[in-house]
Amino acid sequence: MIRIEQLNKTYRVDGREVSALTDVNLEIGKGEVFGIIGRSGAGKSTLLRSLNLLERPTSGRVLIDGEDITRFDSRRLHALRQRIGMIFQHFNLLNAKTVAGNIDWPLKCTGSLDAAQRAERVAELLALVGLTEHANKYPTQLSGGQKQRVGIARALANRPQLLLCDEATSALDPETTQSILRLLLDINRQFGLTIVLITHEMQVIRTLCDRVAVIDGGRIVESGKVVDVFLHPRHAVTRGMVAQSDPLTAAMLDPGHAFAKDKLRGTLVRLTYLGDVTYQPILSHLAAATPARFTILQGEVSSIKDLPFGQLLLEFEGSEDDISKVFAELDRFEIHHEVLQ
Amino acid sequence: MIDLSMIEWGDIAFATWETLVMTGVSLLFTILLGLPLGILLFVTASGQLLEQRGLYRVLSFIVNVLRSVPFLILLIVMIPVTVLLIGTSLGVEGAIPPLVVGTSPLFARLVENVLREVDRGVIEACQAMGIPTHRIIFGALLPEAMPGLIAATTVTAITLMSYAAMSGVIGGGGLGDLAIRFGYQRFQTEVMVITVALLVLLVQFIQLAGDRLVLRFSRK
Repeated sequence: MIRIEQLNKTYRVDGREVSALTDVNLEIGKGEVFGIIGRSGAGKSTLLRSLNLLERPTSGRVLIDGEDITRFDSRRLHALRQRIGMIFQHFNLLNAKTVAGNIDWPLKCTGSLDAAQRAERVAELLALVGLTEHANKYPTQLSGGQKQRVGIARALANRPQLLLCDEATSALDPETTQSILRLLLDINRQFGLTIVLITHEMQVIRTLCDRVAVIDGGRIVESGKVVDVFLHPRHAVTRGMVAQSDPLTAAMLDPGHAFAKDKLRGTLVRLTYLGDVTYQPILSHLAAATPARFTILQGEVSSIKDLPFGQLLLEFEGSEDDISKVFAELDRFEIHHEVLQ
Repeated sequence: MIDLSMIEWGDIAFATWETLVMTGVSLLFTILLGLPLGILLFVTASGQLLEQRGLYRVLSFIVNVLRSVPFLILLIVMIPVTVLLIGTSLGVEGAIPPLVVGTSPLFARLVENVLREVDRGVIEACQAMGIPTHRIIFGALLPEAMPGLIAATTVTAITLMSYAAMSGVIGGGGLGDLAIRFGYQRFQTEVMVITVALLVLLVQFIQLAGDRLVLRFSRK
């Protein structure tokens, strides 16, 4: 659905060229929830705004449904933006309009529906985001979570195919964040809406995204399926992000800090596995199938979006032969294993 | 010391009415001229919706020049233009053109400042929705700025009232004219006191009404 090719953006600050994006290439599929994560100032906001040209790239192409939108004239650009919803960290609602008025505003400007049809659509959207009884309130009378729900309803008004989320939950408390993320996931599934979001929180990526790109210093440093990036982060920035949201994973990636190395006698192995195998009695199977003994040092069983996963840090003791038998068993179960020490 | 018996109350009532007419009509024209000018200043400024640095500089320069001319001088300089426009430079009608020219640049600048206070994110959200610029200005920007615009109008109305009184010097009508002819030239201190008291009352009333309206339109 979206293809970004060789995207560059430079700003001129005090006569000097400052690069915000460098050689960004991305492909985002239809119906996918795609996350872009990075520290503040990494360029994620500029990248997101390139998708509806709120920011014009200096060079490169942005293809949506095969068309290079950087070549659109202003009329086509307006038409394109009406098909792309966007929600914001600070909601950006019109304070002078009621909740219903805010949702009606993009419909009114598109002009494709008459007043009765618009009222019907507004009622439908209010019900979708659960704000029916707040229709006639003004934004300042709402809580942060309710404001973002209005933002979502407004963004969906013209039935977009793509929703851009600019740090949509960063101004909300954790509980409200979860409810907004659930709503976004519902919408993604119900309407097959493609969602591109930027965030600095790994937790948001874990809850919502199918794939993720990590951006640092204006470059994509790592990208892939969320589970892969989360369980096997390669770049230092990604590891930092994982450590912040999930200290346990970080400890298992680098157990040197967590354990007194001199007390370890055997081979330190980290196992990671996804899906159905999470529910299999792997450890008792290992104990029965090989003479190697093992100690569980750390472990986690959780889920990313709806995919269950597990990771275990085990210390194996036994002969080389025994250990290779263990690895053969693990391979049979399609359990990823890496020797850490 | 103050003898109210010699006051012609009819004259004072009529002068008050004239002051109100001068202020009201001038305010109307000031808004008609100053509001579009203020919007234009805002949208053409650097980094705004319709950035036009050249046009902004020219408009901004004109506004500054007009605002730097003292009103008393503007009253005199404007006389030929006023005669050309409405046939006379005297009375209520004669005072209106210089009043409008004197306050429109002030009002335009106030409008520009009020619009700058509108959250940029709101405008960005409208742009992201693909809403055409003219609709963003009239459907979002101005309604969002309404309390500020009303406050700016209140300030301008009060300035107009004091300028209207000043126009009495060159033969404009109203309370200012009365104060100068009777209070100053004929040493009738009573007339002076009453005109000043009435102006104070009128200004208080305008400010009060303005504040009420601001409150009604505020959603903060």
